[in-house]
Amino acid sequence: MKYMLMMNTPRGGDYQVMSWPKQDLEAHIAFMIGFAKKLGAAGELVGAEGLASPSQAKLVRAGANGNPVTDGVFPETKEFLAGYWIVQVGSAERAYEIAAEASAAPGAGGAPMNMGIEVREVMSGPPKDPE
Amino acid sequence: MKYMLMMNTPRDGYAKYMSWPKQLIAANTDFMRAFARKLAEAGELVSATGLASPVQAKLVRAGDDGRPITDGVFPETKEFLAGYWIVQVENTARAYEIAAEASTAPGMGDSPLMIEVREVMSAPP
Repeated sequence: MKYMLMMNTPRGGDYQVMSWPKQDLEAHIAFMIGFAKKLGAAGELVGAEGLASPSQAKLVRAGANGNPVTDGVFPETKEFLAGYWIVQVGSAERAYEIAAEASAAPGAGGAPMNMGIEVREVMSGPPKDPE
Repeated sequence: MKYMLMMNTPRDGYAKYMSWPKQLIAANTDFMRAFARKLAEAGELVSATGLASPVQAKLVRAGDDGRPITDGVFPETKEFLAGYWIVQVENTARAYEIAAEASTAPGMGDSPLMIEVREVMSAPP
């Protein structure tokens, strides 16, 4: 089963990590590198990406002529995706264990952040062409 | 440059989708299939994923002992990711064009499909 583990950030603008002391930021990054390496070595990592800060996020839809209409205004309550891991594991429990480990990434001051990680089951890619 | 194009939905979005007329769901599915094929043929599609309904979504954090603490309660205002495309394109304008096309997927017409576009930095640093 595939699960998507999402790290969300509670506000728009620039990422908070960018205001951390350099040493704390480096410890956080080192944790993330080691974590991805470990999941990869265990054969559990399908993919992972980090997203640029929400300050450049846009909402896009087609106008009447089909051309993109972009808008940079989001509700204050909106959470932004900061990054994710997709893992292939035997059970939801294993996905939760991995999420808990990600949650304990070191934060400002070096203490575990224990941040909430949203865990969702992945259905598939876009629907496949019929055989 | 890589961009992530996200389709977000309120918690009841999946239930609403499932209540669409069968024909409309089929038209939406056909659109998504052709759209993915076209992006792939153009060499612009890096990956695309659809997520299961948020009914089973959990928020997980580590307890003091490092064990997972799971919680299924989310704020009412929370948007859930329904699916995404990651595209590799020359510039932001092209990412917006692709997002605009995704936004024209057939639906009930009750609310425009908005696509959140974000630049992808990299895999974990």
